[in-house]
Amino acid sequence: MTQSFDQPTVQVQAPLLQLNGITKVLKGQGEPRTILSGVDFTVHPGQSVAILGRSGSGKSTLLSLIGLFDRADEGQYFLHGNDITKLPERRAAALRSAEFGFVFQRFFLLKHLTAAQNVAMALVNGQGWSARRKRKQQVMEALEQVGIAHLAKSKPTRLSGGEQQRVAIARALVRQPRIILADEPTGALDTETGNLVVEVLLNTTRQGCGLVLVTHDHDHARKMGRVMELRDGRFN
Amino acid sequence: MLSGKFRSALVIGGQGIRARKLRTFLSMVSLFLGVLAVVAVQAGSEIAERAMLTDVELQSGKDGTIRGYVPGEKGAPAIVESTLKGRTDAVAMISSNAIIGEPGVRPINEGGMPFEYAGQGRGYYGPTMICDSNGSCQEQKQPEKKPDGQAIEVSMVALTGDIRAFKPFRPVSGSWLDFGSAPALAPRIVLNEEAAKGLRQYRVPGEMTIEGATHHVTPQIIGVVQDGDMQPRVYMRLDELRTWMPSATETTNSNQYRGGGTSLDLFLQPGSDDLQQLLKAKLIGAGVSQEQMQFQAVKSKERMESELRIMRLIFLGMAFLVLLIGVAGILNVGLATVGERVEEFALRRAVGMSRLLLAGIVLAETLLTGLLTAALAIGAGAAGLQVALMMFGSRFPSLVGTAFPWEAGVAGVIAGLIAGVLGGLIPAIRAAQIPIATVMRA
Repeated sequence: MTQSFDQPTVQVQAPLLQLNGITKVLKGQGEPRTILSGVDFTVHPGQSVAILGRSGSGKSTLLSLIGLFDRADEGQYFLHGNDITKLPERRAAALRSAEFGFVFQRFFLLKHLTAAQNVAMALVNGQGWSARRKRKQQVMEALEQVGIAHLAKSKPTRLSGGEQQRVAIARALVRQPRIILADEPTGALDTETGNLVVEVLLNTTRQGCGLVLVTHDHDHARKMGRVMELRDGRFN
Repeated sequence: MLSGKFRSALVIGGQGIRARKLRTFLSMVSLFLGVLAVVAVQAGSEIAERAMLTDVELQSGKDGTIRGYVPGEKGAPAIVESTLKGRTDAVAMISSNAIIGEPGVRPINEGGMPFEYAGQGRGYYGPTMICDSNGSCQEQKQPEKKPDGQAIEVSMVALTGDIRAFKPFRPVSGSWLDFGSAPALAPRIVLNEEAAKGLRQYRVPGEMTIEGATHHVTPQIIGVVQDGDMQPRVYMRLDELRTWMPSATETTNSNQYRGGGTSLDLFLQPGSDDLQQLLKAKLIGAGVSQEQMQFQAVKSKERMESELRIMRLIFLGMAFLVLLIGVAGILNVGLATVGERVEEFALRRAVGMSRLLLAGIVLAETLLTGLLTAALAIGAGAAGLQVALMMFGSRFPSLVGTAFPWEAGVAGVIAGLIAGVLGGLIPAIRAAQIPIATVMRA
């Protein structure tokens, strides 16, 4: 088992997640293409990791494997020390709900719902049920955390790009996940708003949450505790 | 946990419907016609069955009623009358003939024939035959012809109790016989529609001559009912008839000519076996032969159902074809909607929703749409029935008072559910198969 810890402060803690020798091959109509080849990756509680790389280098694929959207063809995946490599889909869904918060470049807000309802979406997912009042409280706390509680009743079409991304971050935070997976969250934002969003994401690590940020932006990457670069499906 | 999933499906399904009102409405339009067709066919066949059943019940008695025939000889009528006195679970009916109008004249409808045939001679019953106990019959010598006069002949039915518990006579006007009060000297009679028509058509004096009665009677007409009989009839209380005709229940001459005595029609509620046994025992004790008594259950419904079954199946088949068109509509809209909502479904799965629940949400949306459509179709069906009854009810008396059959409501709900499931199943499977990674990376 390979472990490379860049930050001595977190080395004493057990890893949140650990990938060993992960390989992913894309099998389409043409020749199979190896996207990831024997990748090792570890995240500890409170650690932030930036993943850099050119388009097609496998950054998003790695993120979707970490987030249990997809399965690796080879290798092992440990979450809190438990092997979840061959987890059934139903349990994978439960883990996505309990452990991960996702932030995407394109926000993925539902236009017919308000900001609060979009955030509540992560609570109404069939993984347990809480009373309306409690849900409302959780949603407002998440919105406050990203500084847009006053926009709770606004529809996404009335929000700026930065506000929409903060709603998406609130949606990722509302279930108090252990790991935030952010796939180019600043890609559609101007520099100033992008910085603000990265700050909001980094704040979560101060509460012990792990953060994996996929980005093209080296300035944002430098703000993370660890920077890794993917090239041709391998970390440099 | 299951409750959380169920609630999530309902909440999200409801949000989906609210977010796509026009689409939901469009898919409801075609489905509405399909469900309405099922509701209409089911309601129509139920109403037709009930209407036909009511007509049959007017003649034969309500379904399940035990009907008995006892000859009116050897004191049987008196035994039956005394046995049934004060009972509500059985009624005896004794028929005879009566003439209302001028005494001693030939009635307009001699023989008690319907007034449509009045004046066409006594051809209604054919020649009167006299038969002996060996079955040897000979034509009766025609009685002396009476002069024509203002009188009508009716079939007179004397009752020991309220027959409406067994034969659902429909009130037309006035009231029905009150069996709870003391017998009146002037017998109260209720006419059937044909008898009322005769009295309306021919102005006859209000005097009644009953075969075998000691005196002419001046009856009080208290009401008119629809009894489903073409022959003019009057109904009266047996105890009021007795005042004028002590031997009311014994064999009358006219019936003797027809080859038998006055028979008693008995109507007993289902399950009254004890009463049946008691009657039989008393009658056999009085000398009535057991072979002469008949008791059998009325099976009106069974007869009707077999007649209507094929017709109902044909119409239901047609209705289901219309429903299939509705299902195709909801399926089409469902598939288009899934295509549009790929990102939403992928996102929902990304935040922890299982494939199964996602499929459940799509199904919940189509099921809610189906149920909503069913509710509208049932409402439209019920309202349509009321309008139809208001407009055409007077032409079809058997439909008066008809309520929207609950069976049609159930059929509508089932049709809505089936349409919801059939229309939502394929979109639900497609939604569950959306790959999260591909969509979220796009």
